[in-house]
Amino acid sequence: MKYDVVVVGGRIGGSVSSLFASRDDVDVLMIEKRQEIGTPVQCAEGTTLSTFKILDMKPSRRFINSYIEGATVYAPDGRALDLEEVTGRNFLDGAGYEGYILDRKVFDKHLAIQAAKAGTDIMMKTTVKDLIRKEGKVCGVVAKHLGKIMEIKADVVIAADGVESNMTRLAGLTSPNQPRDIGSCAQLELVGLDIDPYRLNFYFGRKIAPGGYLWMFPKGEDTVNVGLGVRSNKKTAYQYLNQFISRFDDVTPVELNIGGVPLSGPIDRTYSDGFLVVGDAAGQVDPVTGGGIHTTAFCAKVAGQVAAEAAKKEDTSADVLKKYDDIWRERFGKNLEISLKYRNAADKLTDKDMNALAEFLEKNKMENLSKISAIKFLGKHPNLLKLIKDFL
Amino acid sequence: MIKYQRDNCGYCGACVAVCPQQILELTENEVTKGIGCDECGNCTIVCPMGAFTREDEP
Ligand SMILES: Cc1cc2nc3c(=O)[nH]c(=O)nc-3n(C[C@H](O)[C@H](O)[C@H](O)COP(=O)(O)OP(=O)(O)OC[C@H]3O[C@@H](n4cnc5c(N)ncnc54)[C@H](O)[C@@H]3O)c2cc1C
Ligand code: SF4
Ligand code: SF4
Repeated sequence: MKYDVVVVGGRIGGSVSSLFASRDDVDVLMIEKRQEIGTPVQCAEGTTLSTFKILDMKPSRRFINSYIEGATVYAPDGRALDLEEVTGRNFLDGAGYEGYILDRKVFDKHLAIQAAKAGTDIMMKTTVKDLIRKEGKVCGVVAKHLGKIMEIKADVVIAADGVESNMTRLAGLTSPNQPRDIGSCAQLELVGLDIDPYRLNFYFGRKIAPGGYLWMFPKGEDTVNVGLGVRSNKKTAYQYLNQFISRFDDVTPVELNIGGVPLSGPIDRTYSDGFLVVGDAAGQVDPVTGGGIHTTAFCAKVAGQVAAEAAKKEDTSADVLKKYDDIWRERFGKNLEISLKYRNAADKLTDKDMNALAEFLEKNKMENLSKISAIKFLGKHPNLLKLIKDFL
Repeated sequence: MIKYQRDNCGYCGACVAVCPQQILELTENEVTKGIGCDECGNCTIVCPMGAFTREDEP
């Protein structure tokens, strides 16, 4: 078997890469090891209009559960801050776009269907076990389907295999993550929680979600995704989640999701001879929020286009594929770098620091923050100084 | 000894990402552990469900 492009992984990174490569008229095969696309869900499903703009798609009721108008952040002491009031703009992304809660099962499947319609071949329940290499260049994959091993040749292999990312390790681009760089997440979709259906809620604090935060994302009127990400070896994410949920009476779960989010920022190099990496496998996730849908969508689109262009020109060397790395870093590199700095600084904050920050922001809205009041405040809170100095 | 309890596993792959020996593999609904575990405990820290635990030797 021989394809121009082989894509490993069939969720957002894989389907978007496949879709845009197929649109550029090359032969594409996408390989997914599970027997269903998009399950089990490993996501809180929050995104913004920018995702749809990147994908040249209209947000559709088919895969959108709800529309989001604002967000409230709860400090460890319970003080609530409405983010749009503090920052004077919609927080969801820098451009102030509106937010959505997706139905990831439907959305991921929809993307795979679009890829298939554009010409991508798809193999389900097929695991990529190894990369084929010739003189150091990746030139295909070894896959296993129902016990049968097969070799599939390719001009470019795109790894979209998520947080596990065996492919990037096989290609020699990464080594295993440190536990402190993985957010350990658990989420229950709950019925019976009475919250504003247009508003996200975030809770911070060592007791609630050490090294991370807890989210409540309403999926319309009926259910709410309540989940958290933690970095801690005291209790499991699932235990922290149940501890938080025990404060509510009469809520009933209809789904449990778990997952690991890479929070180390992007890997140093996302290409080599005949090989590209996208999405969680490449660490293209915001290290503060853990959001990776819109970054993955953008990077995967570019990867598909660059791979197709290279395959057509019959030069898939690292020098040519580097264009992908250049383009995505131009768009997201700086943001992810700054976010990683914030994460590292925020890791040092105590609950007391966070409470003080919330109190300060409540009194001083960001747009009319005076330097003098800020400097006075930060003088008293050295941990916060490091975190906030880039804002001023 | 590092023990894996399949009943507790939610098939997310977080453990695979942190195993320095690269001996863990996630198949559809199970993690298989190859030989060579150095008992570093990384998998026990990131597992959201507590499917990996450190057990005292009997
Ligand atoms: C709990 C949680 C909540 C999150 N919430 C949000 C959110 O609200 N908003 C947001 O923007 N982001 C969120 N994220 C991040 C976001 O979900 C990811 O960044 C995004 O889904 C990454 O997509 P991906 O295609 O790179 O990887 P994945 O979605 O992990 O897909 C990888 C696919 O590759 C397959 N695969 C792996 N290895 C192989 C192999 N060897 N052979 C064949 N197939 C293979 C897997 O089965 C899987 O289907 C969240 C993450 C988690 C864990
Ligand atoms: S204890 Fe360490 S080496 Fe052993 S399986 Fe877990 S992560 Fe791998
Ligand atoms: S991290 Fe835990 S729940 Fe996830 S696959 Fe590994 S053992 Fe299973």
